[in-house]
Amino acid sequence: MMAQSGGLCSVTLTVEGMTCGSCVQTIEQQIGGLSGVIHIEVSLEQKNATVIFDPASHSPESLADAIEDMGFESDVTN
Amino acid sequence: MATHEFFVDMTCEGCSGAVTRVLKKIDVKFDIDLPNKKVFIESDKDSDVLLETLKKTGKTVTYIGTK
Repeated sequence: MMAQSGGLCSVTLTVEGMTCGSCVQTIEQQIGGLSGVIHIEVSLEQKNATVIFDPASHSPESLADAIEDMGFESDVTN
Repeated sequence: MATHEFFVDMTCEGCSGAVTRVLKKIDVKFDIDLPNKKVFIESDKDSDVLLETLKKTGKTVTYIGTK
């Protein structure tokens, strides 16, 4: 039974600057490793990342900042 | 001003672009040699500070030394 921690949020962020699969993998590993991030899917073709996270520990902005910290440009879309 | 040499496991322009952006944020003079996966940084900052900054890219980074 998955513990419901007050419901999860999902956000789609734009990610500029990726050119190959290894950039995608690096972001998925780094951001996916953050506590409170449940799932992340990065798309090279669409230049975005969809993240499912626990709103108690993250917000769309903090996730975009984390990606920017890695050296990619990222913005919240919806 | 010491020139610090680092090994950074960059595999493509996207990766070197990420290194470029993180280094631009800390305002240091740098040079990236993508084929040899090397980054040279000219700065008075401590190498640990530079190492931490490079590690933010999520890539494997090792400090080689000063030139």
